Amino acid sequence: MRHVGTIAGREIRSLFVSPVAYVVLTLWAVLGAVFFLSSLAQFLEGIARLQQFRAFDQLREVNLNHDLIEPFFGTMWILFIFSIPAVTMGLFTSEKQNRTEELLLTSPVTIWEIVIGKYLAVAAFVTLLVGLVAFFPGLLFVYGDPELGRTLTGLLGLFLVSLTYAAIGSFASSITSNQIIAFFIGLVILMVSLILPLAAELGAASGFLGSENLMADLLRWMATAEHVQPLLEGLVDTRNLVYFAVMAGSFLLLTKAAVESVRWR
Amino acid sequence: MIEARELSKRYGELRAVDEVSFTVERGEVVGFLGPNGAGKTTTMRMITGFLPPSDGTAVIDGADIFAQPLDARRAVGYLPETPPVYPEMDVSGYLRFVASLHDVPRRERREAVDRAIERCGLSEVRRRVIGQLSKGYKQRVGIAQAIVHSPPVLVLDEPTVGLDPIQIGEIRQLISELASPRDGESAHTVILSTHILPEVEAICRRVILINRGRKVLDQPLAELTAGGTRLEEVFARETSRDEAPAGEASA
Ligand SMILES: Nc1ncnc2c1ncn2[C@@H]1O[C@H](COP(=O)(O)OP(=O)(O)O)[C@@H](O)[C@H]1O
Ligand SMILES: [Mg+2]
Repeated sequence: MRHVGTIAGREIRSLFVSPVAYVVLTLWAVLGAVFFLSSLAQFLEGIARLQQFRAFDQLREVNLNHDLIEPFFGTMWILFIFSIPAVTMGLFTSEKQNRTEELLLTSPVTIWEIVIGKYLAVAAFVTLLVGLVAFFPGLLFVYGDPELGRTLTGLLGLFLVSLTYAAIGSFASSITSNQIIAFFIGLVILMVSLILPLAAELGAASGFLGSENLMADLLRWMATAEHVQPLLEGLVDTRNLVYFAVMAGSFLLLTKAAVESVRWR
Repeated sequence: MIEARELSKRYGELRAVDEVSFTVERGEVVGFLGPNGAGKTTTMRMITGFLPPSDGTAVIDGADIFAQPLDARRAVGYLPETPPVYPEMDVSGYLRFVASLHDVPRRERREAVDRAIERCGLSEVRRRVIGQLSKGYKQRVGIAQAIVHSPPVLVLDEPTVGLDPIQIGEIRQLISELASPRDGESAHTVILSTHILPEVEAICRRVILINRGRKVLDQPLAELTAGGTRLEEVFARETSRDEAPAGEASA
């Protein structure tokens, strides 16, 4: 595994001089600000309305985490579905375009070292994205008193979901030589993972998935929402952590198989 | 140094390389000659560990490509048909990267990179971004990455293709230099593919000719051209001979 750092270092440097990285980072900061401010506006509006109706009981229930930070995190999570495939689309496709695949695969380097090195580079990038998200609720700590633990748990949720999406994006990049196609494959997989619960319900209702409902259970388990939502709400459950590890691990395994398949052809 | 043992590669029905065997001794410079589509690139990709053979194996500097793939790959410097460069990297950064991929110890990396830059005449462009270099310079960068870890074996796939006549002359000169010992370094063992006859005459001492995936000739150049026979004639004779029986294999 000694080449992992070499691969990751080169990838990070290339990533940060690519236009894609700047576009994503800029958009991310701008959209983060926009959605944070709109969440804030909604929050304040809600308070104003409660005051107007003198609903003091409900007013006492108002919670910075539940009513402001968590909706904001929820929005940023959805935005990861678009931004992460853009970050990962060039990961393996560019090696094919540059013909540098031939350099990597004829060096005394294992395919795992290549896959893990590249994945770590993307992980560094998404950490930056999560850090930008963290900045906004950070402001609230200056002016208010959100719960620290709950906020951090939400950020952990975003971090884990972005690492999982990065593995899915890496896989998308490994099965094609075209960046744009890699982007859309990644996007489609992530969107499917979002609507899986719906598919499971429909399948179960129509009897299509059989009476056992094992398939429906599996589909429901694979859906990201069920595992992100609790974390965003401040609940840490080992089963959800296992989900992210299993999903990320599986897609990295698939990525490794896809890179290796060059050798069979 | 290089030993190919009945290497074969099949793509479906097509036998791109068909039981090709040869040996290249230490310090030899061998021309791997054949018309386009003969199977030169495929053979080199198998020797360098990029493609697994369908049958047969190769031993590089004592390491079998199946049994000790990492040792075999460590012993080879490889210039593919297209130089495998990252356009956004600068020349020395790129060579440092390749050196570390090839396990050049950290302390020796700078020296290894400087040496490769100097040998390939890249000093003026060492800080330049590779994407902005001319084709000739890119090719030199390609050769520099092949020699940066001082491998005993060099595999060069059509090293002068697409260059202008002056660049071609320079690259040939460079390859000839790499083939001769220098500064206490031992000479590289070189196998280079080409479909250009003068290239073989300019650089190589031995010729392996392949046609339609099969080896048809393996002889020292001096023997071949003894008695005034021109290489063109040999090439024409050998590449047209088994046209008929191999006819159904062409795809
Ligand atoms: N990936 C591949 N899939 C199918 N056929 C291939 C592939 N690569 C090469 N070939 C075929 O194998 C033969 C040998 O190709 P190649 O080794 O590139 O020849 P050369 O380098 O001598 O020009 C050609 O007929 C070519 O079309
Ligand atoms: Mg070729």
